[in-house]
Formats: sequence, C-alpha cells, structure tokens
Amino acid sequence: MSSPDWIVLVVTLLGIIVYGLYKGRTSRDLDGYFLSNRTVPWYMVLLSIMGTQASAVTFLSAPGQAYTDGMRFVQYYFGLPLAMVVLCITFVPVFHRLKVYTAYEFLEQRFDLRTRSLTSFLFLLQRGLSTGISISAPSIILSSILGWDIIWTNIFMGGLLIIYTVTGGAKAVAYTQQLQLIIIFGGMCIAGYMVIHRLPPTVGFSEVLHIGGKAGKLNIITTGVGQKGFDWNDKYNLLSGVIGGFFLALSYFGTDQSQVGRYLTARSLSESRLGLLMNGLVKVPMQFLILLIGVLVFAFYQFNKEPVFFNQSQIDLLSKSKYKDSLVLLNKAYDAAESQRIRNLVTPEPGGGAGQQVIPATPRQTQGQVLALEKEKAGYKATVRRWLNDKEVGGDDNDTNYIFLRFVMDYLPKGLIGLLIAVIFLAAWGSIAATLNSLSSCTIVDFHKRFSKKELSDEQEYRLSQLYTLFWGIFCVAVAQLAYNLGNSLIEAVNVLGSLFYGVILGIFLVAFYRKKVGGTAVFISAVIVEIAVVVLTILSRKGIIHLSFLWFNVVGAIGVVLLSEGIQWLRSKFTEN
Amino acid sequence: MQMDGSPERNDDLDQVPLFKKWSYWYVLVIGFLLILIAFFYFLTKHFS
Repeated sequence: MSSPDWIVLVVTLLGIIVYGLYKGRTSRDLDGYFLSNRTVPWYMVLLSIMGTQASAVTFLSAPGQAYTDGMRFVQYYFGLPLAMVVLCITFVPVFHRLKVYTAYEFLEQRFDLRTRSLTSFLFLLQRGLSTGISISAPSIILSSILGWDIIWTNIFMGGLLIIYTVTGGAKAVAYTQQLQLIIIFGGMCIAGYMVIHRLPPTVGFSEVLHIGGKAGKLNIITTGVGQKGFDWNDKYNLLSGVIGGFFLALSYFGTDQSQVGRYLTARSLSESRLGLLMNGLVKVPMQFLILLIGVLVFAFYQFNKEPVFFNQSQIDLLSKSKYKDSLVLLNKAYDAAESQRIRNLVTPEPGGGAGQQVIPATPRQTQGQVLALEKEKAGYKATVRRWLNDKEVGGDDNDTNYIFLRFVMDYLPKGLIGLLIAVIFLAAWGSIAATLNSLSSCTIVDFHKRFSKKELSDEQEYRLSQLYTLFWGIFCVAVAQLAYNLGNSLIEAVNVLGSLFYGVILGIFLVAFYRKKVGGTAVFISAVIVEIAVVVLTILSRKGIIHLSFLWFNVVGAIGVVLLSEGIQWLRSKFTEN
Repeated sequence: MQMDGSPERNDDLDQVPLFKKWSYWYVLVIGFLLILIAFFYFLTKHFS
C-alpha cells in the first residue's frame, strides 16, 4: 500500500476509536453499559442492527460470490422481512414488557433456570466461536493480499475495537456503528462507480447487465427445481431463502443476544419495532447492490486481463512447488489466450484515438473464437485448482473471497485502496463490538449474577462487565488465530456454525411463546435431543450421506423442538395421570 | 402481554408512526418484499 492509503486507513480507524471513546460515556451501571439507558432512537437501532449483521465477510465475499455463482445469494435474505414482522408482533413486546437485559432471562420466567442456562450457554458457545471466525476470515484475506503478519492482522481486526467497546459498552457500539456504516456505504458506492468508470467508453450500465445476464450472473431468482425435482442440497433458491431464511432470521434477530441487545437499547417499544421493520425494508435491496458490484467486476474483467487465480499467495505457493516450471508455461499460454480474447472484444478507437470501443456486433466466427478462448481459459483455471489441491502443495483452491479485494488493489487509485481496506476493518469492528457487548451481558446477567451469592454494587457490576468484555475480546482473537487453517468458504462456515444451534434455540422460544402447556422439563429434554440430531445431520450432510443444505437445519431444529417437546409433555401428563 | 410470555393481544399500545396501526407497517414490509421478488424475477428473465 502507498503512503496516502496508509494515511486514510490509520486516520479512519483512529477516528472511529476516538469517536467511540467520546460518545461512549454513560451511567456506570448495567442499564447504562448494556442498554444505553434505553435512550436510542429508531434510526440508530436500524443502523446498529445492520452494522451487527453485516460483517467484513459480507463486503469481501458477497461480490466474489456474485462473480462466481451469480446473484442468487440474495434469496438467502428473503425470509428476513417476514421474520421482522413476526418479531414485532411477538418477541419484541415481550422483551420490552419484561425489561430484560438478555433474551434468555425470559426463558427462566416462562420455563426454568435450567432452560435459560442451556440456551444462554449455547449462545455463548456459538457466538464466541463464530466471532473468532469473523475475525479470522478478513484477516486471512488481508494478510494474504497485503503480506501482513496474520497474528498482527488478527489483533488489529479483533483487538483495537476492544478499546471503545470495553470503555463505552452498548452506547459506544451504537454510535460507532452509525459512523462506520456511513463510511462503508460511501466506500462501496465509490468502488461501484469506479468499476463502471474503468469500463470501455461504449460499455454502459445496461451493457454490464446484459454481459452479466448472458454469463448467468443475474440468476437472482432460482427455483431449485431440476430434472429430478426439488434439490434439497441447493443452497440458495426461492424456497430455501423464504422458508430457511425466515427461520434463520427469526432465530438470529429474536434469540441471538448480539441482535436482541441492539433493539433493547431503543427508547420505546415503538422505536424498536420501527428499527426492525426498516431493516426488513432495506436489507434485501442493500444485499442486492453489494452483489451487483460483483457483477460489475465480472463485466470489467471481460475487457481486462483476469488473473488466472485471484489469490496471489497461492500462485506464489505453486511457484515454489514441483509445478513451478509447468506454472511458467501455463502463465504464458493463459496470457496469450486472455490477450486474444480481449482483442476480439475491443478494437482501438477509429482515427488513432487513445480510447477503445467495443465491437457492437461480433461477427459469427469471432464469437466462436471467443467461446473457444473462454473454454481454454476455464481449462487453465481448473489446472491451477488441481495443482493447489495436490496434497504435496496443500493449497487453497477457492479464490472467491479474494476477487473484490484483488480488483481494488490492482485498479483503484491511491487513497481509495486505503479507504476500502478501512471499510473491511470497520465492517468487522461493528459486528464484533456488538457481539462482545452481548457475550459480556449474557455472562454477567445469565451466569455471574444469577449464580453468585455475593451482592454487587452498580459500580462493581459495571467494572465486572468491562472485564468480561475484555475477556471475550481476547478469547475471540485467540479463536481467530486457531481458525487460521479453516480456509475455504469462510462466509458459509460462519453460517453453518450458526445453523447448528439457531434452529434449536428458536424452537425453545417458539414453545415459550406459542405452546403454553409445555413445561420446562419437556422443552429442555427435547432441546438436548434435537441438538444432538442436528449435529448428526450436519456430519451426515458433510460426508455426503444425506443431501440437505445448511439453511434447512434451522427448520429441522425449530420444528423438531416444538414437536418433540409437545410429545414429551403429552407423555409426562399421561404418566402423571396414571 | 402476559408475564408467561404469551403474545400480546393489543400490540398497538405504543405510538405508531406514519400509519394508524402497526398492521399497515407489516403489510408494507411484506408487500415491498413481494414487489422486490417480482422485480428480481423480471431482471432474471430479461437478462438471461
């Protein structure tokens, strides 16, 4: 990175820390530290919810996902607006009425301490681990592209935000998320504009959509129905997005303390509801626009040389392996094919101008040539992947997460690169800060205060909350370091981990809200059994023995707990009668 | 809302912005989602 990039990056990050420290001053008790004294307006609730959900991986991987797999990933969010409506009708009024600090406090009132503790423990386990991955994912990408040391990158990615999160609690989190999102959206808009700006003059936005469409990247709506009927293993389609996405969103926003803790800070029930409903309105279009950047980048590389593999560190790995000579030959052949492909698409401007023009209607033989060169290119890429998969090389054959950042590094001007790197840090910070705050609130409210016999003053509770926040911050950075070798498909790793627990936790809450006759023992036993079943299903799915996409685990977990707890309750009542 | 956690019968106790009832907000959110899906379907078909 150049000096202007470093200046932009450092000033932006330092600015956020100082802003968080300045805005985070609040009353020194649990209400102030975890709930901002319930004074936050709806638009800050909205930004806080969005900032918590959108991690660095969202902005790094989503454009790459659209580049490789098309825009169908947006369907994953179709269940979210529906979940927002159900939350506003059922969950939010309950939490506000009971004036809880954590969502799990409600479970003790409805069932018993055992169910509350189990659910809170599952949250701590799942969130603690997945936050570590949320730190690790962007760190691996940044350290790989920029050559930074992974340990220091992890510390900067997950450690610096601890300063203002420990000091200012939920208030600092909310205010910094507000500023972070403004910078993030500004940065992404500029990046999108720059992609279009760097296209040949005769290629406009409409042409970009046509290019993306012809290449199958505008597959926004897919049914998941093939020749053999509906594919349950298909990750992103309309049905899995609406149903699976609904259960996932309901669980995430209704039972995950990192989100519940955001809208509990609202100054009224009305403001909480409005923040959530606005999220239901803006989330899908926002995700659509982020994915659209991936299609823009795809169109850009139709007129510019595309790297044979976007993760340069893996190419460096190959150049030190037994394939080094083959790689040199492959690179030469690939370069020649790419140059020929681009020449067929772009001709010099008439009259010797410096610009380029795209051939409006490619002659038939040239189209055939282009298709042949595309096939040849795909062959070279497949060869590189095969080499990376060689056990002796031990490389990572997935470069999806590197596509957008590689474009940024190669084609954006100085200063803007620093801003886009800052965007990645800020996206990570917003999400991680909210999570640390929620992990701390569950630890102290659901466990420390609940099980400790010692009475604590407000000041002592406040200090202890800060210590727990610090502890979880260090824990998550440590997990990030351990997750360094996780590698492939980081965005899905986080989602799959969530789906292991989310369904069961949601099932417990659904029973609490809608099945009044079911007691604590029945729901506790069924939650344990269904959790084991979901873990077994996940292992079977991973091994390819069954074919079920991870989004459906949320449905299985939630409905499983509801049905099984009903059954156990019925059996218990029968035994009691006898 | 009851303390046992059963859903609230009247969820319009708090002030509703813009509309008379929260249910209108819910219709707006779901309606907007349907419009988006229809728009995305059009884009998918038109550019495929």
